Amino acid sequence: MTTSNAVVSVAGLEKTYGKANERQYKALKDINFQVAKGEFVGIMGASGSGKTTLLNMLSTLDTPTKGDVIVNGHDVTKMRGNQLADFRAEEVGFIFQDFNLLESLTAEENIGLPLALKGTSSRVMDQAIHEVAETLSIADLLQKYPAELSGGQKQRVAAARAIVHHPSILMGDEPTGALDSTSARELLDLLTTINQKQAMSVLLVTHDPFSASFCQRILFIKDGQIGSELRRENQDRSAFYQEILNELGTFNE
Amino acid sequence: MLGKLALAGIKNRRRDYLVLLAGLTMSAAIFYMFANLATNKAFIKANAVASSASLIFGFGAALLILITIVYIMYANSFLLSMRQHDYGLFMMLGAKRKRIGELVFLETLILGTVATAIGIALGLLMSKFLVGFLLDSLGLHLAHLASFYVPAIIATAVLYVGLFILASLFNLIHLTRTTVLKLLHSDEQANQTQVKPFRQAVAGVLGLVLLGIGYWALAAIKVLQTAAIPLALVTITLGTYLLFRATILMFIRSLRKTAWAKKHLNSFLLGQLNFRVHNYTRMLTIVSLLFAMALGAITVGSGYHRQLPMMAGNFGAYTIAVHDKTAQEQRLIDCLDIRHQATYTQKRQGKMVYYNAAELTKHPFEQLKMTTGDNVKTSYVTESIKKFQKTGPTDMDFLGLATNSQRMLTPKIVSASQFAKQSGKTTTVTTVRVKSLQRDTPTIKKLAKLERQRFSQPAEMTIGSYQSYEMMTGFFGGLEFMGYFLGIAFLAMLASCLMFKILSGAPGDQRRYRMLYKMGVRYQLMRSGIAKEIGILFLIPGIMGIIDVLFGLQMFKPLMQSPMSPYLGIGSTFAIFLGLYAIYYLITLVLYWRIVLPKTAVK
Ligand SMILES: Nc1ncnc2c1ncn2[C@@H]1O[C@H](COP(=O)(O)OP(=O)(O)O)[C@@H](O)[C@H]1O
Ligand SMILES: [Mg+2]
Repeated sequence: MTTSNAVVSVAGLEKTYGKANERQYKALKDINFQVAKGEFVGIMGASGSGKTTLLNMLSTLDTPTKGDVIVNGHDVTKMRGNQLADFRAEEVGFIFQDFNLLESLTAEENIGLPLALKGTSSRVMDQAIHEVAETLSIADLLQKYPAELSGGQKQRVAAARAIVHHPSILMGDEPTGALDSTSARELLDLLTTINQKQAMSVLLVTHDPFSASFCQRILFIKDGQIGSELRRENQDRSAFYQEILNELGTFNE
Repeated sequence: MLGKLALAGIKNRRRDYLVLLAGLTMSAAIFYMFANLATNKAFIKANAVASSASLIFGFGAALLILITIVYIMYANSFLLSMRQHDYGLFMMLGAKRKRIGELVFLETLILGTVATAIGIALGLLMSKFLVGFLLDSLGLHLAHLASFYVPAIIATAVLYVGLFILASLFNLIHLTRTTVLKLLHSDEQANQTQVKPFRQAVAGVLGLVLLGIGYWALAAIKVLQTAAIPLALVTITLGTYLLFRATILMFIRSLRKTAWAKKHLNSFLLGQLNFRVHNYTRMLTIVSLLFAMALGAITVGSGYHRQLPMMAGNFGAYTIAVHDKTAQEQRLIDCLDIRHQATYTQKRQGKMVYYNAAELTKHPFEQLKMTTGDNVKTSYVTESIKKFQKTGPTDMDFLGLATNSQRMLTPKIVSASQFAKQSGKTTTVTTVRVKSLQRDTPTIKKLAKLERQRFSQPAEMTIGSYQSYEMMTGFFGGLEFMGYFLGIAFLAMLASCLMFKILSGAPGDQRRYRMLYKMGVRYQLMRSGIAKEIGILFLIPGIMGIIDVLFGLQMFKPLMQSPMSPYLGIGSTFAIFLGLYAIYYLITLVLYWRIVLPKTAVK
């Protein structure tokens, strides 16, 4: 049931860790879902449920054992070598829990890296960096090194780096995991802004109901399988938050 | 339990430990070989003028000990960089600092002792085969060279184990004093140093001035005498350091502002260098000096080797003198490319030797004239018989034509009629001066050998420039051998210093390259980025070292009279040296790639 406006389409995805003769562990079992263009989707589950594994499959950091993953029309499972690297560089924006900023580069240089890899001219690059810095209100941090930034500021710089090259999807693996609640909220607001203003598709992986409540749709994952799904529809965020908590109550029984 | 954990940590990094162990082993082996040569009294006595030999070897030993200390320092920091994260973790989990300290101490000491033991064994083997090979290929024959020599073993063991005890203590103090957090995140700290343009400029200018003084001191060694070397050593070291500090960082920072920096991984490369160069400055200074010493030692050594025959003309008026030449000797002489040849009849009586004035008029005896001063020019002149009758008897070369086992006979030139009446043992002597000793060496060697066989007492022989040349070869041979030996040893150690320093940074880079990998940087790009970064770190001391050598060779100018020159034919020496240096670069690069580049799947 692939719809043409899906930016991510996953069918029959399985991942088994361990070689055939070793002890094997099935981290993902028959995963099927889609993310529509411009959608803000959350994947929620307890620690060890397979969230990171799933994200790694989507972003080509690891290869699936079975199944199909199509991102923005590219069949990810069929790519090799440089194609994989180029795919990550162009189609995916990534935010990690531990920021993953290069501490030898200034914020500006960190943000510009995805464009530099594409060979963008320095004029265009400067413009793009300043635009995204405005959006994320980090213009005054550009000349600083990561060591001089707070956790929240680091994560905003990381977000800027993730979207500066206009990828087709922004993925976050527990991006608020290392932040205090104020910074976490700021970041989630920013992600919402990015999603709405730039129509950027966002896939957020989290175990935290508060983070999840910023999404339009949530897929619950447990033991490597997607169990249920919640839609925010027209509820406000706090109502949706309550609904998530209720769902978790039943989901975890 | 903790011990087991520590062992597991070592097992995980087997390859890095192997590199470290191999490096230390090589260093100990080299040191043993040198100590064996330097302390072996029988060997030294048999081979060169004793006092100058012990001076040369003493100087060499001091340099070698110096570089060994530096080397172990860097090897140790590499070891520490591998281990501190593990030990930080153990401490965080509640291990006692005292226990950790013990472990670190033991680990360092065991590694060091094992390396020393294997190194000495390897050194024994290398002394047996390699030293012989090196000597052979230089055409030198050094007598009494034993490979097994107890004092050398003791010297090596004492020095190395001593240094490792110091290193162990240093590690113990370092690990027990540093906070756990710092240990855990040691490779994530970016020490961004402030650039103060004015200070930088002053440092840069001061550096240049100091370098200028140093280079001048080397060139002016005739004026400054022995003060030149320490003066140059201090000023060049300081100058290089200041210059590096001032310029490299400024250069990198200005590059970072250009459009070039915004292409591909260039910004990352510059960021890495900027991040590193500051704490590499001291290292690069030391390495460039060692580089210069190594290259200098080889250059001077091979310079003497290649150029000594050119000097041979200055050693005497004739290349060789043959007494009562045989048919076989005549055949050999016919093979030579002769410039001047003369045969004189001698009558020996008691302490006197008589010459026929008529003969000397017909074939005047050539005398060697050398101009004094910087540019020595040699010429061969003859004098009228009247004049020669006065000067001849004091001319060393002429005196040398007739000797017995006790002394040189006193020559007397008499008229033909008197000569005919003169009683005594009649002999003839043929002097030969060849165009090029270099070309005719094999033939002359045979002639000299025949002469030696015929006249059992070497003292009964004359001393031509060939014999002087042979003696000089013996002496300079030692110098030259030292040059090659120290040069290669220095190169091996300095390149490993650089290697260890760079590899020490690898654990931190592992994370960085993993990030780049996740961001979609192609392997090829990461690989070439690393090649550039390490290449630059190798290149900087290389260039500085070559400049140092080019100026430093000035020092040897007074020792090498023209037409010899310390700069003659250095191209090939440089090429060989740079080739070896490049091999070290490649080894470092491959190791770095292996450590740093992410495997395809995330952990
Ligand atoms: N490289 C791996 N090898 C073996 N098992 C793994 C590997 N990575 C993850 N797992 C296992 O797969 C499961 C899911 O892990 P992960 O996707 O990291 O969970 P989450 O991100 O939801 O916390 C866990 O049980 C974990 O132990
Ligand atoms: Mg996870």
